[in-house]
Amino acid sequence: MENLEGRLTKLALKGDQRAFAELVELYKDKIFHLGYRMLNNRHEAEDIVQETFLRVYRNLDRYDDNQKFSTWIYRIATNLCIDRLRKRRPTYSLDAELGDQEGTDGYSLIPSDNVTPESELILSETQRTIYEAIDELPVKYRSVMILRYLQDLSLQEISEVLNMPVTTIKTRVHRGREFLRKKLGPRL
Amino acid sequence: MECKLAVSMMHDYLDDDLPEQQQRDLKEHLLSCPECRAQFKELEQTDMLLFSLMHQSPVASDELVGRIMGALPPSKKERRVITWIRRHPALTAASVFLLVMLMSSVTFLKQDGQLVVKGSDLDQVVIQGNTVIVPSGKRVSGDLTVENGKTQVYGEVNGNVTVIDGSLYQASTAHISGQVKSIDQALSWIWYKVTNMFSDVAYR
Repeated sequence: MENLEGRLTKLALKGDQRAFAELVELYKDKIFHLGYRMLNNRHEAEDIVQETFLRVYRNLDRYDDNQKFSTWIYRIATNLCIDRLRKRRPTYSLDAELGDQEGTDGYSLIPSDNVTPESELILSETQRTIYEAIDELPVKYRSVMILRYLQDLSLQEISEVLNMPVTTIKTRVHRGREFLRKKLGPRL
Repeated sequence: MECKLAVSMMHDYLDDDLPEQQQRDLKEHLLSCPECRAQFKELEQTDMLLFSLMHQSPVASDELVGRIMGALPPSKKERRVITWIRRHPALTAASVFLLVMLMSSVTFLKQDGQLVVKGSDLDQVVIQGNTVIVPSGKRVSGDLTVENGKTQVYGEVNGNVTVIDGSLYQASTAHISGQVKSIDQALSWIWYKVTNMFSDVAYR
């Protein structure tokens, strides 16, 4: 039987906008979560979601039915996040003004600034510590750990998303986990 | 078992990737090595904490879907038409011209309800009200075209007879040397107009 995403992509390809809206509904929060943890910023995460779906839409005719839709969309989103991180890395300093908006500097990118009072209550101290630790991970480990834990993908799926051998993914999960253990260890 | 190997097995275990026999070996080692036991506990807790984050996920703002749908480029089908137009400007212009011309013909057809008789030799023709008659014994040399009227042919026509939006009666004495055409629908009317236009252009 054909899966839901496969059917929706076919309909969307025929010009059915509602089918595409359905796909957006299905994946927007997942992609947002991915972007939010990768980039640590709400705005940028929403940009990533929008850009991802734009790319999906433009390349619908290139989508291969034999591939899982989730793999495809995660690949697009992860690549966009990594591109963005690469671009901002050289000028990345917490004290430097970001230039595009007055009065915003690196500190405004830190997630705690974006946390609403409501979610502040739910967010425990430990969880915040974990998020901070994830943010300290080098990008290549961060993407793997986010896909593994926050999106619950299997090692095989991650290897398909990132287009890398499973053994590489495995090593990265192990190193990432070890890194986080060392960061969190004293607090556990 | 060496502690280094044990650590790698711990990770495999957390990945759900450790065969049963090795799980037992690892357990055995953990029982005998307090350091590895502590490390395993930390790793396991890290693992659990990370998984717990999944359920506590931030949600994108509500207007995001609208924004995404609004930012989509026009669908490929529409774009195909546009690129076709861009690639064939002359053909597009020609077809637009043709379309406008046909549309005006159609409106003309609907507006006009008057009897129109065209021919090169109309002296031989008798017109009674709405009826055009070619009496017996008379001979019309050349074509005869009647719009919006009845046509009755008793005599001879040395040419084509075309009836538009009307009826044609041919008596047994009638003789028409050319073609007989009856046009009573907009489409064939348009076709007639177009072919006539082209032959007019060609012969002029």
